Amino acid sequence: MESTQFNSQILNHSDKLYRLAKSILRNENAAQDAVQELTMKLWEKRSILDEVENIQAFTMRSMRNLCLDTIRQQRDEDEIPVDFEYVELNPYQQTEQKDIASKIRTMINQLPELQRTIIRMRDVEEMEIAEIAFITSISENAVSVNLSRARQKIRDQILKEQKRMEETIWK
Amino acid sequence: MEMMNELMEKYFRGETSLAEEKELKQYFLSGNVSPELEIYRNLFGVFDQELTEKAVSPLAKVLPEQRKTKRIWFQSFLATGIAATIAIFLWVQLPPTSLNYTVIGGTRIDNTEFAQRYAAKKLSKVNTMLARTMSPLKSLNKVRENIEPLKNISDIRLKMEDIHNKLQIK
Repeated sequence: MESTQFNSQILNHSDKLYRLAKSILRNENAAQDAVQELTMKLWEKRSILDEVENIQAFTMRSMRNLCLDTIRQQRDEDEIPVDFEYVELNPYQQTEQKDIASKIRTMINQLPELQRTIIRMRDVEEMEIAEIAFITSISENAVSVNLSRARQKIRDQILKEQKRMEETIWK
Repeated sequence: MEMMNELMEKYFRGETSLAEEKELKQYFLSGNVSPELEIYRNLFGVFDQELTEKAVSPLAKVLPEQRKTKRIWFQSFLATGIAATIAIFLWVQLPPTSLNYTVIGGTRIDNTEFAQRYAAKKLSKVNTMLARTMSPLKSLNKVRENIEPLKNISDIRLKMEDIHNKLQIK
């Protein structure tokens, strides 16, 4: 793969790769490092990239695997988890968190890794189910099931939040 | 309206197509949402907002913070920054015979844009590390400022001894 192709097909998609890494790692700096590490690895292997049919899906899959390896490695070495920046809110903090958009972001971040990756790939990046299945290495049916579960969970929590707010108003 | 309600049910079941989901997004971002679906407007707003997140170089974030620091810190920062630049320059070894490529960690890079991004990222990391390392030194300055009045204690002690001696003589 030539430099210009590398720039247009990989470097120009670094925002998408960053968003995926950030969703999995839940840490901005770690996500930036992951993007750099992956682009470096891809640059080293650029000679074989010409054989890849869907470069975007391939790089996204590589990014997910890299992020999962990072998390696994840290677990094995008992290091501070990469997502240490991300702190799950206790019920009191959740009540205090006034901005509904922040609450929704928290709801998404609290989903299991596979579900939050799938919901973001579909609803933020607007990717096809087949592409998501390739990236996550699961069947298309499993993607649909996980997507549905993720959306249902978010819906339940939004409804719960709505109810809580109404109760607070009428108290 | 009924159609949108049905589409939302389909959406939550994970059965909508990309085209239908785009229609939903447009509907919720239009600002003309029915009251019963209003609670889901923020959900689509979040998805739309997340799409704007970019993998920008942290350099941009570091530089404004540097401007806020005191002159002395800026000078120290500048000096260490220059040293770091030289170190990185040595690390990213430029081959003597050609300027068409560079070598990073043993890998030959002839992609200028990629090499520049890589160098910028490394530089920003050094800057961030320096900022982190130097921040405790700020506390030292505060300690020094607070210790300053204590220097007068010795003068006071001398004066007190003097008074005491004079009183004893009398």
